[in-house]
Amino acid sequence: MLNYLIRRLLWAGVLFVGVTLITYVLFFLLPADPARLAAGKSATAEDVARVSHQLGLDRPVHEQYALFLKRLVVDHSLGRSYANRRTVNEMVGQAIPVTAALVLGGAILWMLIALPIGILSALRPRSLLDRGAMIFILIGISAPVVWIGLLLQYFVGFKWGLTPNAGYCDVFDPPAGSTCGGPSDWASHMILPWLTFAILFAASYARMIRANVLDTLGEDYVRTARAKGAPENVVIRRHVLRNALLPVVTMLGLDIGVALGGAIFTEAIFNLPGLGRLALNSVLNLDLPTMQGVVVFATLAIILLNLVVDVVYAYIDPRIRLA
Amino acid sequence: MDGKRLLGIVLAITGLSLLLVAAATAAPSAQRGGTVVVDMTTDVDYIDPQLSYYGETWKLEGATACKLFNWPDKEGTAGAVATPEVAAGLPLVSKDGKTYTFTIRKGFRFSNGRPVSAKSFADAFNRFANPRMQSTGVQFLDIVKGAQAVINGDSGSISGVKASGSKLVVQLTKASPDFLARTTMPFLQAIDPTLAGQIDANGINQYASCGPYYFSSRTPGRSITLKRNPYYKGSRAANPDTIQVNVGNDVAVAFQNVEKGTTDYASGGIPATEWKNVTTKYGLNKKDGRVQVRPLLDVRYIALNHARPLFKDNPQLAKAVNWVVDRQAFSAQGGYLFGKRTGQILPPGMLGYKPQGIYPLRVTANTIKQAKKLAEGNLRGGKAVLWSSNAGFAPLQAQLIQYNLKQIGIDAEVKLLPRAQQFTNAGNPKTADFDLTIERWGADYADPYDWVNILLDGTQVTHPQHNNYAYFNVAKYNREMTAASLLTGPSRGAAYAALDGTMMRNDPPWAPLVNSNDRVFLSSKVGCLTINEAQGSGPLLNVICVK
Repeated sequence: MLNYLIRRLLWAGVLFVGVTLITYVLFFLLPADPARLAAGKSATAEDVARVSHQLGLDRPVHEQYALFLKRLVVDHSLGRSYANRRTVNEMVGQAIPVTAALVLGGAILWMLIALPIGILSALRPRSLLDRGAMIFILIGISAPVVWIGLLLQYFVGFKWGLTPNAGYCDVFDPPAGSTCGGPSDWASHMILPWLTFAILFAASYARMIRANVLDTLGEDYVRTARAKGAPENVVIRRHVLRNALLPVVTMLGLDIGVALGGAIFTEAIFNLPGLGRLALNSVLNLDLPTMQGVVVFATLAIILLNLVVDVVYAYIDPRIRLA
Repeated sequence: MDGKRLLGIVLAITGLSLLLVAAATAAPSAQRGGTVVVDMTTDVDYIDPQLSYYGETWKLEGATACKLFNWPDKEGTAGAVATPEVAAGLPLVSKDGKTYTFTIRKGFRFSNGRPVSAKSFADAFNRFANPRMQSTGVQFLDIVKGAQAVINGDSGSISGVKASGSKLVVQLTKASPDFLARTTMPFLQAIDPTLAGQIDANGINQYASCGPYYFSSRTPGRSITLKRNPYYKGSRAANPDTIQVNVGNDVAVAFQNVEKGTTDYASGGIPATEWKNVTTKYGLNKKDGRVQVRPLLDVRYIALNHARPLFKDNPQLAKAVNWVVDRQAFSAQGGYLFGKRTGQILPPGMLGYKPQGIYPLRVTANTIKQAKKLAEGNLRGGKAVLWSSNAGFAPLQAQLIQYNLKQIGIDAEVKLLPRAQQFTNAGNPKTADFDLTIERWGADYADPYDWVNILLDGTQVTHPQHNNYAYFNVAKYNREMTAASLLTGPSRGAAYAALDGTMMRNDPPWAPLVNSNDRVFLSSKVGCLTINEAQGSGPLLNVICVK
């Protein structure tokens, strides 16, 4: 187990360097000058050169990347934004709880929707419930997140006024100038983003759960359990679900890891100040340090959650060998 | 007392009471007080006066700053004349036009109670130039004696700026009639001694200011709050108690919020398709009405790249483009009341603007015929690269221009770029591999220098970065632009008007398209509207009131 962990961590390091290096190289391949953007619209050539020097953009790319790695490892600093000179640590730090709230809340919701739909439609294949569930799954998988989000926002938030249409409130300690705050404001502002975020995943998870349960129901050990007279709920709970849900655990870990990197569409539609919106703005502003900050966090999240999934998987499924 | 007399008294009292009640209810309700809520689509860059350079920030600083000269809180031409604010009248100007002596008016105080003095302005000049601030607007100090030495780090303070008691003396390196207009920029507002000592390139998010309001808090990416300056004794209005800015809602959400009344003003605008609906629903430009439209000091144009073979020494083709572009259709892509079509360089409202009437603002069969005639024999292969932003309705506008160019025999390849990439590359001779680029310019301050010289002076086109996207470099016009910039009063306006006409008539650097409008959509709670485009788009936030 220890060997396995060490090997995974080493690979994680290689992956981390690879991803951040690719981001750096891609950024410098863009035919655009962030110094020009930061220098303002009436800047002279001298102004742009000065800003370029201040931002360190006049150094060779490999030097800039080495400096970035040194700063990250030694000072634990992601640098400062080109666009507003705030520390990227602070910007990413403020965005993480928002994205985490969206993703984790969304994940709970999509599992709450997907589990009963997937299991029940598998237990009663081709029934009315199963066909209804398939319609939901088709809509959920086919409809773009943006479209679902905008519809919910327009009808539920604006026309019917049931929830706020956009914005974010902090659960604890709202910052100065905030017009809302506290658990109830927070939850009411998150309902629509959670729903939007959950529908797509709920649909694909329901499909996956249904297929896995159906497969497992046909296994010999299920037939044996039934032949031995085990009650149906015990068969389903102990023999079917325990095996059918193993791949779901893997997928859940991977999806949460990817989503933590920024749910760009949902955050943009509902004006959630999370990592997705931060990434989007940093791309539009040619703001490499911020872009890199989001990439670093996303990479770490994916690596970490992959690791967690592998370990959990090995724990819950004794057939898996880590050697 | 008899019955009639008693009845008379009762009636009189009743009448008087009714009059009082009527007077109370008819009076404009709550001219002062309340909170004005503004939805801002994107966050500001900074609120630090020496760093902020976004139009949105300047709009807020319009409410917080006190300046030597300022644009009055008035609409139209009355608001477009820079007038003394903290300066006690016009400055004394030396005969050579290089030394300005301002006298500072008494009574202005910062929101922490400290008085505003001549030193408050000298501090602003020095903090602005300080290289440790890394301010991106320092090019506006190019005319101030000794500023460059501070910017370069060779000196600690600007030798050309001296404060003594109530006198502020500013020495310039050359006579610059636009200097007073430059003092209206928020960079040069009076600053409190505490802020003067805070040299931080990351900007300060809370500081005392001397205008009607001050920034009481800012959470980057989330919100900005302005409160009334309790020590403000100036003549400007300070109607709402609080101006609350919510950051990040896109135009669709901002529209919904203003409709619902949870937001009073959508500063980033509303979806282009909604302008017609709201105008039909609420009427246009009614007194204190919900939909207001005013012309902006702004132009959208096609820069014709004179450094590339297609338009180099090819004025006939440049004229042909001006004859064929469908300005009406271009404007229509931006939605109802997007702007006013134009065929000249200077916008209405700018000193020197004179309707030139050189090019048609409406395309007809005859104008296309005329364009074809001009283009004939001047197509030079007929291939072109057209750059445009990839955002919003810009791609649609690019397609339209592509179609127009096709009508005169130019086969244009459209390249859609992120906006930042488009203008940074267009301003760099090494990367400007376009023949036409659709651009936009808004004035930093209302003076033709910030328009004609900044955008068309050919002496800058060899620089790695510039704003002359047409790479227009004609020695005669360069000289005339410099000469015009040194003039004052009506002769300055006349010189720029003449330049506008001559350039567009003989060798058009651009195909000007539209002077955009400032389209304002407000909630039903808002009144006391004053919109002054010299101070930026949208209603003046210090004047606005909540009903």
